[in-house]
Amino acid sequence: MSQPPRDRDDLRAHQARWERETRGPHVAAHGERLAEFRTQAMRWPVKPLYTPQDLDEIGFDYLRDAGFPGEYPFTRGTSPDGYRTELWRMLQVTGFGTGEDWARRGRYMLEQGLNGLIIEYDLPTTNGLDSDHPLAAGEVCRAGTAIDTLADMEAALDLPFEKLQHLTSVCNGPQPVNLAMILPALEKRGVDPDSFTLQMPNAILIEYTCVGRYIYPPAHGLRVATDVIEYVIRNHPRWVPIAVVSAQLYAARANPVQELAFGFSIAMQYLDAVLARGFAIDEVAPYFSFITGVDMDFFEAVAKLRAYRKIWAKLMRDRYGATKPESLRLRLMASPGTMSLTLQQPLNNIARLGIQMLACALGGGAQTMTSPLHDEAHALPSEEAIAVGAAVQNIVAHETGVADVVDPLGGSYYLEVMTRKIEDAVFAEIEKIDTQGGALRAIETGYFQRALAQEQYDRHRDLESGRRKLVGVNQGAVSGEKRSIELFELDADAERRQIERLQRVRAERDGSAVTRALARVREAAAGTENLVPPILEAVKAYATHGEICEALRDVFGSHHPDSLTTGI
Amino acid sequence: MAKRIRVLLAKLGLDSHTIGVTVIAKALRDAGMEVIYSGLKQTPEMVVRTAIQEDVDVVGLSSLSAAHMSHFSRVLELLRAEGASDKLVLGGGVIPERDAEKLRAMGVAAVFTMGATTTEIIEFIERWWTQREAQ
Repeated sequence: MSQPPRDRDDLRAHQARWERETRGPHVAAHGERLAEFRTQAMRWPVKPLYTPQDLDEIGFDYLRDAGFPGEYPFTRGTSPDGYRTELWRMLQVTGFGTGEDWARRGRYMLEQGLNGLIIEYDLPTTNGLDSDHPLAAGEVCRAGTAIDTLADMEAALDLPFEKLQHLTSVCNGPQPVNLAMILPALEKRGVDPDSFTLQMPNAILIEYTCVGRYIYPPAHGLRVATDVIEYVIRNHPRWVPIAVVSAQLYAARANPVQELAFGFSIAMQYLDAVLARGFAIDEVAPYFSFITGVDMDFFEAVAKLRAYRKIWAKLMRDRYGATKPESLRLRLMASPGTMSLTLQQPLNNIARLGIQMLACALGGGAQTMTSPLHDEAHALPSEEAIAVGAAVQNIVAHETGVADVVDPLGGSYYLEVMTRKIEDAVFAEIEKIDTQGGALRAIETGYFQRALAQEQYDRHRDLESGRRKLVGVNQGAVSGEKRSIELFELDADAERRQIERLQRVRAERDGSAVTRALARVREAAAGTENLVPPILEAVKAYATHGEICEALRDVFGSHHPDSLTTGI
Repeated sequence: MAKRIRVLLAKLGLDSHTIGVTVIAKALRDAGMEVIYSGLKQTPEMVVRTAIQEDVDVVGLSSLSAAHMSHFSRVLELLRAEGASDKLVLGGGVIPERDAEKLRAMGVAAVFTMGATTTEIIEFIERWWTQREAQ
């Protein structure tokens, strides 16, 4: 037996010999499965083996590149003790029906052992329309909960707040209106607003980039979002008024480098807007959080989560001069991605969720995790799927041991190379966006949208050509497959009940008080004052969600992207 | 030179899922067709007006929310009322098979859901075009 290598020259010689004497002849005799091996999303070529030589090639420096958990650059985690102190908070998304329907489902989910909830709203609500608007027909209470007036929000927040630690409310375009509904609803329920964490993604720049639930032109969207951030920092400092939902970029097929570069550029756009309101970086940066999703390429996923923390820390320290540890530590919510779930053979998705949840746990650093559900490609999730989704998180957390060691994959030659590769590519892309004038300009000119449209097409072609495999779709597909899983039936009557309540509230309120309150909202919109206080007054006068959004539309106008800015 | 097939791809209502429509727009263009994209938040009236103004041959309607039945049937109705029912109307998105059956009975020539390939869609349109040209 040969001696173990004493130094790197020795190793290089050994590796060359291994290639020549051992691997070379084997490959010559047996060939390889594929003509070339590449990562799934980045399509980066991968070598058969990674060794310390690869770390030398990238100039890997343990202290500079990895460091220690809880310390700069946080590659190995933002918490000094990983998940040994406490596990991640486990959340699931839900949202459908009326406020009462949502609260009933929310209570069920909390009973399953989850301690946080995410509320999603229906399309009329997220587009700033009332339930009886002509464009809303057929969509009310469908893809989420309908909130027209304060009465709806009061019904939605009928929850056991002693069990609820965390609520995420996703209403990006009309976020100030949504916030202004939540505050008085809590007051009416006698809930201390600071007894739990309310997170509002407030992610309007992501909506322009890829989701499409925008209302006003982008510059006004940014102002409205900035008002929410400012209001929350000044009044509810425990809440989180901004989340960069880069998971939406990923769901729009952004590869990991695009997801991080676009997401960080968008974060910096908000940050600059908030700093312009007179805050210091260390007062603001700790509020920023990110919501990401991971894909099926396991090492791309784990490396992405590690690079996420490292890049944020570097941006905050080197670009913004932040010094507080809370500013440098990335707040992250991670989840398996819905886009990797398939309609075909839906039970296979449970395996995908387990693998991705494992990648999330190994990538570390996510304080909160959520899980999509295996039947989501079909319809709104069933109760059985919710229970399985919660179990997947618990199995990873309690049965695998991966949460007992901090960053247990750290030091893997392959993973460290991949982490650095993502980092370098993200910084290069951020520089490209900077030279165009930043994220708002990149949205206004359609740069982000066109890049994503191209990636969507390329990814689809990868699947059609079979370069990328999806089991049940282009690998092991069953023709004429019968699908029999339990599907959640929507209440067809919810839309009628919702509209009835809206019209009852409109009939019973003091109309002249509403008119006055909406005039105040318009006045505030035309100036530069923070929009949240006048919107709060309008909500308390029972002005509707749609009326308040319309008042802002009167001043700001609507966003109508053209073919260049849709990327299509 | 042969006339190029003109296609309008439209998103109806508030549904803002655009990946499918993006992929298909790019694939149809690569196959030599002219593609016009409606943008989001279109009403059936707006879609039919654009289809007639732009003199398209094919109207592709995309829906990944629950409102496909009402929106698609309204587009067909308006096209008939405008004497434009010679256009090929296709549907795509998340559409359960029982709804797809009803849509085909109403006059949607084909419904393409998840798993449909761009090649399938291109071939379907080209076959229809060849048959129409032959008449």
